[in-house]
Amino acid sequence: MANKPKIKELLDERACAHNKTRKTACNEPTPGATTGGCAFEGAQISLFPYADAAPLVHGPMTCHGTSWETRATGTSWKGRDLTQMGFTTDININDVVFSGEEKISASIDYIVKRYRPEAVFVYSTCVTALIGDDIDLLCKQAAERHDIPMIPVHSPGFVGSKNLGSRLGGEAALAYLVGTKEPEETTPFDINLIGEYNVTGDMWQYTPLLEELGIRVLSTLSGDGRVAQIRTAHRARLNVIVCAKSLISLARKMDERYGIPSISLSFYGKRDTSKGLLAIAMALGDADLIKRTEKLIAREERKLEKKLAPYKVFFRGRKAVLNTGGNKTWSIAAALQDLGIEVVATAVKKATEDDREKARMTLGDKGVLMMNPGVEQAKLIDETGADLLLAGGRSLYTAIKKGIAFADVNQEKKKSYGGYDGLLNLAEDLKNALQNPVFKIVARRAPWEK
Amino acid sequence: MGEVIRKREKPLQVNPFKLSQPMGATLAFLGVDKCMPLMHGGQGCTSFTKVFFTRHFCEPIAIQTSAVTDVIAVLDGGDYSIVESVKNITQKVSPSLIGLHTTGLPETKGDDIRGVARKIEFPMVAVNTPDYEGGFESGWALACKAMIEQLVEPAGHINDNKLVLLPHVSLQPIEVEKIKEFIGGFGFNVLALPDLSTSLDGHLGEKQAALSSGGIAVEEIRSLGDAGLVISVGDSMRDCAIALQKKNTDMRHHHFAHLQGLEATDSLVEMLLAETGFSGPPLPVARWRLRLQDAMLDSHFSLGQSRFLVAAEPDQLAGICQSLHDAGGKVALAISTVDSPQLEKLMADKVIVGDLEDAEDMADDYDVMIGNFHCEAIAHRLHMGLILRGYPNWEQVGNSLKNDVLYEGGSYFLFEAANTASGTQNE
Repeated sequence: MANKPKIKELLDERACAHNKTRKTACNEPTPGATTGGCAFEGAQISLFPYADAAPLVHGPMTCHGTSWETRATGTSWKGRDLTQMGFTTDININDVVFSGEEKISASIDYIVKRYRPEAVFVYSTCVTALIGDDIDLLCKQAAERHDIPMIPVHSPGFVGSKNLGSRLGGEAALAYLVGTKEPEETTPFDINLIGEYNVTGDMWQYTPLLEELGIRVLSTLSGDGRVAQIRTAHRARLNVIVCAKSLISLARKMDERYGIPSISLSFYGKRDTSKGLLAIAMALGDADLIKRTEKLIAREERKLEKKLAPYKVFFRGRKAVLNTGGNKTWSIAAALQDLGIEVVATAVKKATEDDREKARMTLGDKGVLMMNPGVEQAKLIDETGADLLLAGGRSLYTAIKKGIAFADVNQEKKKSYGGYDGLLNLAEDLKNALQNPVFKIVARRAPWEK
Repeated sequence: MGEVIRKREKPLQVNPFKLSQPMGATLAFLGVDKCMPLMHGGQGCTSFTKVFFTRHFCEPIAIQTSAVTDVIAVLDGGDYSIVESVKNITQKVSPSLIGLHTTGLPETKGDDIRGVARKIEFPMVAVNTPDYEGGFESGWALACKAMIEQLVEPAGHINDNKLVLLPHVSLQPIEVEKIKEFIGGFGFNVLALPDLSTSLDGHLGEKQAALSSGGIAVEEIRSLGDAGLVISVGDSMRDCAIALQKKNTDMRHHHFAHLQGLEATDSLVEMLLAETGFSGPPLPVARWRLRLQDAMLDSHFSLGQSRFLVAAEPDQLAGICQSLHDAGGKVALAISTVDSPQLEKLMADKVIVGDLEDAEDMADDYDVMIGNFHCEAIAHRLHMGLILRGYPNWEQVGNSLKNDVLYEGGSYFLFEAANTASGTQNE
């Protein structure tokens, strides 16, 4: 049990900005007024992308039946892609009454025999945590039986939010994988990418640039990841946290244990990508590397600007209203600005204080930070003459009523908007939205309403 | 009718397509107008379910959670979390009904949700749907039965023109509408419970997702007791019909295992003719029967040389297998999510209760896969033909308007199957 994370400790992360104001924003959902996923979802999000490891979910069908093969986390793994496979004990009433422990061991044996994974992650869920199935012990026994890491992930949904779950996932990786194997070789420019899950191939937008600079991605948590690599993560020179507040505590602990400093950045939009690349080079502290990075950034920005030029002509004078939450409130806003679109308002109702500050900086004094976007956005579209509403599906009707273009920012995206080239994808999609006559035609009154 | 394997030696599900009981209940409550489904459990169950249906229907989905935490799970018997939930929901919106359904978590500790619901002064239906029992089909049926038992007022007279339709969970919104219209053509006033045809049919509406936007009205459910006839479609719905008959012993019941293909539709028409005394069906019905006959003949050549895998909920399996079989399609393997009386009757060489790993293991036996979104990766990898049916379909849009039932939908289905099969053969 020594490795079991203390939930209280994880909730009280001193590296978290919002903790200074002593607000426990990550805690206690309200019955009947809660949105957002649970700890189990967060844990599997942070660990699923290891294509050489099998995720075994010990629980009833809702947990995994709804959630496997839901994220487009690309992998270059040549073997059977276990990120897109589902394994669950699908417990029944017998298991609830008499324990499901036998099922776990048998399932692990089955998976190892058939799929030969490098590791198995065993997730507990609400029901199996409540009945007290001992996944720690079963994993320990299975690890001895099969001689590969078996990682218990204590992530029952009822302990908290998705964010907390991601932390629990990170803790499990830290406790059972990091530092359990030595890399074949090390370089002065080895980094770990933390919190980058490579959804729609986001990280492949910038990893070739890192490679060109001689920066080696030693391991990831967990985009295009391998268990064999995360085991060597303790030898990296730098932890790079990509858009993931949830994994700050993991990075802090790796700093304490292995002396690996960390930086936090985003690869969304031109400016952030450039800033991010430079920040990595500076953190690695090599003068020549910094010089080469600056050169590369200049080259890439030039290339991008050339390709963006026709889009910028098209977007000139266009205005957008953005209604989303979290870090998207400012990161998408910044990317839109990179395209030459003016962001007249962004919703900050579902954003932390830190995100609100960044949103204010991104939008400038003129931009509106909406605290009640459901009511405000329609009015703001009228007042500002906005051409485009970026929001979740619920707001579609607002756009139709106002006869302006709509883009669903919450929809599971199909292509990457990350890095320099991702910005071109975003530009193309938004151009298509703005040129599409559908929003105006759909808004026609029915003949019998005239 | 072939070999049926119910007992699994496998300790786990690999690439599952089975769905949970509470999710079926959620969907049933979404077929009631201005309803708020309230899932009693951890917040994740609700979040997963919401995202699941949002992606399938491309529509915002109304649902709330009692957000049981670890502490509440131990200390509370549901009183706090359910009462708080209702309070917080009704502060923001005014549902006509709250559909309370459980998950495994509160069931494991044994919350008395009916008792709690009774104490709350708000229209509620409470149903136990632990996700470690049953599946999608039974969750839908249990919620439907609970609505009948807890809402429908007993009646002592019958209205001969009033007919209650009880559709199984796998019928898409347009299919429910088509069956309602079909029966309505014989002069009946048809009410479906649940009724997805006006709630999740994918219509542009103003107030989206605050509550379910369409479906059968709660008042209509309360007064279902005077219907002269009840029709259940799918074996999972039989108990619901029996529960409804208990509200009025004069109500007559007709059961259909499914409504796909020529014979099943014929038997529906025969029943409707017998009940009404009509000498023939409305003109469009007769016309569509001719078209289906032609469709069967046009498609029989391609289907006759094709082997299918069908992976679906039992009631949908019954319809699809029959439909293919009648035009010569050979169902080499039918995989069901759960056990059901349907399995004995399936027109398939082999029937198993299993998962999509089982499907992959038998891939040499078939050329075309029929199943949900999770079949796509397998079909792609093994170069199989693919017809997407069932929940979820995250790959395509327009799911709510896919029609496989009666003479009309049967024709569309056979053409789609035949075209997919010949596309596979030509590769």
